[in-house]
Amino acid sequence: MTGRRTAQVLLALGGMFAWAVQFALIYGATSTLCGRGWADATLLAIGVVPFAILSTTLVTLVAAAILLIVSFREERRWRDQPSSTADAFLSQTGVLINGLSLIAILWNGVPAFILPACA
Amino acid sequence: MNAPELPKSFERREAELPNPLPRPEGEFDALKKAWEPPRWISFVTAVNNTYVGLWYVGTAFLFFILAGILSLIMRTQLAVPENDLVSHNLYNQLFTMHGTVMMFLFAVPAVEAASVYLLPNMQAARDLPFPRLSAYAFWAYFVGGLVFFGTIFFGLSPDGGWFMYPPLTSTKYSPAENADWWLLGIGFIEISAIAGAIEIIVGVMKTRAVGMSLDKLPVYSWAMLVFAVMIVIGFPAIILGTLLLEMERAFDWPFFIAERGGDPLLWQHLFWFFGHPEVYIIFLPATGMVSMIVPTMAQTPLVGYRLVVLALIATGFLSFGLWVHHMFATGLPKMSLSFFSAASTAVAVPSGIQVFAWIATIASGRMKLTTPSLFVIGFLFIFTLGGLTGVMVAMAPFDWQAHDSYFIVAHLHYVLIGGMVFPLFAAIYYWVPVASKRTLSERVGRWVFGLMFLGVNVTFLPMHITGLIGMPRRVYTYPVGMGWDALNLVSTIGAFMIAAGVALFLLDFARNFRFAGENNAGNVWNASTLEWLPNGNYNTRSIPIVVSRDPLWDQPNLSKDVEDGRYYLPGTATGGREALVTSPFDARPQYILQVPGPGWQPVLAAVFTAAFFLLLTVKFIFTSIICGVLAVGFVIWWLWETDPGPVRPPADIGGGIVVPVYATGPVNHSWWAMIVLMVVCGMIFTCLIFSYLFLWLVNPGAWPPQAVRIPDWIWPALSGFLYCASAALIAVASRHLRGEDRRKPRSVPILIGVALLLVSGASAVDLWAQWQTALSPSAHAYGAAVYAIVSLQIFFVLTTLIMGPYTIARWLAGKLDSVRRTTFDNTMLFWFYTVGQGLVGLLVVHGFPRLTGGI
Amino acid sequence: MDFETTLTRLRGRIDPVLRCGGGLLWAFPLAGCSGVQSALDPAGGDAWDLYWLTIVMTVGATLIFVFVTALLLYAVFAPPERRAWLGTRRTIVYGGLAFPIVTLSLLLPYGLIVMRDVDAPQPGALQIEVIGEQYWWRVRYPAEGEQAEFSTANELVIPIGRPITVSVTAADVIHSFWIPNFGGKIDMIPGRINRFNFTAERPGIYRGICAEFCGAQHARMAFDVMALEPAEFDAWRRTQAQPAPEPAIPFLARGRDLFRSGGCGSCHVVRGTEANGQLGPDLTHVGSRRTIGAGQFPNNVGTLAGWIANVQQIKPGAKMPSYGSLTGEDLRAIAGYLESLK
Repeated sequence: MTGRRTAQVLLALGGMFAWAVQFALIYGATSTLCGRGWADATLLAIGVVPFAILSTTLVTLVAAAILLIVSFREERRWRDQPSSTADAFLSQTGVLINGLSLIAILWNGVPAFILPACA
Repeated sequence: MNAPELPKSFERREAELPNPLPRPEGEFDALKKAWEPPRWISFVTAVNNTYVGLWYVGTAFLFFILAGILSLIMRTQLAVPENDLVSHNLYNQLFTMHGTVMMFLFAVPAVEAASVYLLPNMQAARDLPFPRLSAYAFWAYFVGGLVFFGTIFFGLSPDGGWFMYPPLTSTKYSPAENADWWLLGIGFIEISAIAGAIEIIVGVMKTRAVGMSLDKLPVYSWAMLVFAVMIVIGFPAIILGTLLLEMERAFDWPFFIAERGGDPLLWQHLFWFFGHPEVYIIFLPATGMVSMIVPTMAQTPLVGYRLVVLALIATGFLSFGLWVHHMFATGLPKMSLSFFSAASTAVAVPSGIQVFAWIATIASGRMKLTTPSLFVIGFLFIFTLGGLTGVMVAMAPFDWQAHDSYFIVAHLHYVLIGGMVFPLFAAIYYWVPVASKRTLSERVGRWVFGLMFLGVNVTFLPMHITGLIGMPRRVYTYPVGMGWDALNLVSTIGAFMIAAGVALFLLDFARNFRFAGENNAGNVWNASTLEWLPNGNYNTRSIPIVVSRDPLWDQPNLSKDVEDGRYYLPGTATGGREALVTSPFDARPQYILQVPGPGWQPVLAAVFTAAFFLLLTVKFIFTSIICGVLAVGFVIWWLWETDPGPVRPPADIGGGIVVPVYATGPVNHSWWAMIVLMVVCGMIFTCLIFSYLFLWLVNPGAWPPQAVRIPDWIWPALSGFLYCASAALIAVASRHLRGEDRRKPRSVPILIGVALLLVSGASAVDLWAQWQTALSPSAHAYGAAVYAIVSLQIFFVLTTLIMGPYTIARWLAGKLDSVRRTTFDNTMLFWFYTVGQGLVGLLVVHGFPRLTGGI
Repeated sequence: MDFETTLTRLRGRIDPVLRCGGGLLWAFPLAGCSGVQSALDPAGGDAWDLYWLTIVMTVGATLIFVFVTALLLYAVFAPPERRAWLGTRRTIVYGGLAFPIVTLSLLLPYGLIVMRDVDAPQPGALQIEVIGEQYWWRVRYPAEGEQAEFSTANELVIPIGRPITVSVTAADVIHSFWIPNFGGKIDMIPGRINRFNFTAERPGIYRGICAEFCGAQHARMAFDVMALEPAEFDAWRRTQAQPAPEPAIPFLARGRDLFRSGGCGSCHVVRGTEANGQLGPDLTHVGSRRTIGAGQFPNNVGTLAGWIANVQQIKPGAKMPSYGSLTGEDLRAIAGYLESLK
């Protein structure tokens, strides 16, 4: 019972956690790489800073997308069962939260295309 | 866990109300007697949420008025250029105190106070799960806050701005005690806020009306839940920050001194990691209030409940990705800044959702233009404007111009007055009928609103321009001929209009507010939620089953049936105060929590806690330590009376539901509180580790600095082994303390005793390891960071040195056995945390420099 | 790049009309949006970019604000049957979710592009170093080509049309360097060196200020910015690099002697004399500056004398003590000497 509930909550909030992880990683990576003088290093033909940002963004984006799909499935499962309203509620909220997280993650990746690495 | 399963559906049928009529003779009287507050002088020891909540709100409002008066003095000073009404010295204290008091002594306490009053009523709980903790939090805040404010009369107030940037606030540039007042005074008010947050989290999750599952939770409860979680995550950063700055001031540990490897920016990171979420911490409860008021005034359910909950949760997360937007001008790489721009724009989306949810709700009903409605409409107007300028300053390049100018002053007042003060006034007008025998005057209310609404706009709208045409904030005067004169004069006039509005409100309040213990003004707005049930000191006579989000609208006759005692737990099962603990998701009854009643201990503990910090500030070290010891003593005495054990067999609360009067393990409310406390501790520690890594980052090529020897690996290994061994002993003790037979194995105190020796040994070894390398905490930030980690660990070990013997004492007194073991469980959880933190600390302090090898 | 330059020139022409535009949108009678210290009166390319960002966002925010307010009032006052369409979840999804996401998806890249383009280091920029101190500005022009290095204080003199990089740091507490007419601000943080890049396009006199609260006299910490034609700038720079002139008349020589015997030289430098203190502002060419006291008073013999005698009354908390015991005659001599240091 409790285990299932925990899983439901984690699913519903998962996208936001993905956003938080992405945020911490890209900010940490940029600070560390710039602070330690790797501004001009490159990896796979692009700068190491944009590389770190874009790869992190991609991974977390995929994670959030998967969470969104799973919560969609959950939502459909509970849609027709009015008696278990907490389940329906959690799954529907999950869809919304994971959807919004997708946007937030996407926006975090935008700067990598526009700004110089460490200036 | 032996919580009985309820029927899947809570559909109410007349015949199936849990308890039959008539109720037994004396049942109601026993309930009333249990919840009666003490009389005369002992009245201050009352812990009922209705009393403490009101005192709390009142005190917060007092600080609102005091800090408001400070701002009037400032506005008068700035009415004309080159004014000399107040000296620069006083002015700098005034704006520092205005910001500090408004943020720490008004805004956060006010919303927390309101929830102490409202939450239990709204969830039809008898009280909060830890009423004595709320009383403690209130009294510490009351005493500490008043003394802290009093410093303004002696010229001792902090004068470094409410964000206290070092090095301006370091000993070198602020040698006087003014800064210490801020650091210690605010430091412990934050602790009071955290105590409140723990209470709120457990209260929302564990004490609700039966059947009030997550999807039927009032939006206000959701807002308070997110609020409390944000406090738990955000406040530790500022607690650590104040701790580091105070250690720098007191012992010369150079965390923020650039010449010795520190960095002033570290403070800014720590401060704003708390400081930005703080804005939303203040704002979310206010939106929760609005989401309760709007449906009532429009007489229709909230449109988009799920979207609003999404908005609250998303705000809770995203607001932690904003802190550097207060540091856009600090010269960080543009790339780093841009992430915070992105998050700052993202956080606008949830705010938009809420605004449109209220508009949609208003449109779907018929909005009565009462005073609360007016304040809500005013809120929407002002807050929308503040939110839009918020999006503007989220764009770093624009912020480079606006930052630290009057544009920001305008923006933050629009957001905070719009986002918090107006909803709070709406809430006061709206909820006074719950607390008072009379409502406030609608006619006067319109004037109050009119004056405040106009006043706010007259004051702060011009400031957008004043800022863009170059006026920086925090100036005690300004030169003639800059084009700022007229704008400033207008702002001053506006400030006095706000003051007139507030004064009018106070008059009305004094005229009409009459405290009601039992017969309040009633459901005057025809609202739909449970705080409008008939109530008294015990809150509701019986605890209802809830089948919708608007129970008073959807469940006819609910008020009458609740009042007649036809729902759950209409009396008292143990003869004392009780609350019904329900499961966190579906709100099924789990057990009866025996709630502690009034007592002098929390009051005295709070007074001595406040005295400890305040005397420490003025360096009366010895008296301060005595007060500290007394505070701990009173807390222990207070705790001694808790954890009562199963005083009677499981009780029937009605409808055939039989629940125990005591429970341990993960269903227990104090288990939850302990977990939340560990999250707080974990966040403090995480921030400390972040500080360590940050200092590494700003010290290229010198980590550890030359001539510093890292202790041999044998020391951390030994220390780690001792930590693990002590935890293992506690785990063994826990195994021995299992069984339904209430056994009291002798091994338990012995195991705890040995574990105490081991854990003390572990931290002593850790300290010795650093000591014998002659590492100095004041020579370089490296040493300061290392000793900070070691010191924090020692603090935790010292706490186990109190908790361990306390647990042994419980065993010796016969108050601890294999069933009655909540005390042991709490000690165990804390012990495991301490050991975990110790191991991570060892890993970082001894492992990290080896890993980087001085890169 | 060329296109942008043309655009900037064009903006310069229609500038009087536009300048007040941002303010007018607030529907507020303006006290003056042009000025020596105004973000609404840009005098450089970067400041123009920021100005346009301000205008675009102000217009957008105003429109959204009017729209939301109108919708709110409509929801409150319109007849129930006419506003029913508004009272659904759809309103929230379109108004609160879709609309902000679309708008902000456009605004964010725009903001980032402005961020990339302004305050960007340019090759061949004139280097200037500014150190913030409680409560004044130490300014240093490093050697460049055959131009010798020199120090000055509380004024920034720059050529127009040439990129400028100001490297800033602080000697004591955090300050912030802000010239509103030339763009954003940059914090001056002890132990860190930050850079601020801009190009002045209009000659004129502007004013910079400290934007980060830095203690008692934060309010009185400003400086002058003089944007000169390149030739004038070169002339100024050559003069500044010279040592101080010898006093031309005995009265001024007396002032110099009093300056020496009063111990002024233990805090102040006057190049070419034995005064070589490093604590306070360099006074070698103090007479050539527009203002004294960190942008506080016009610079003349009277204000200089008043300043020397009453620092602690005028700017309490400044490091310099008041020399109130000097006789009027002596004060005039010292002030006259300082004023002669052109």
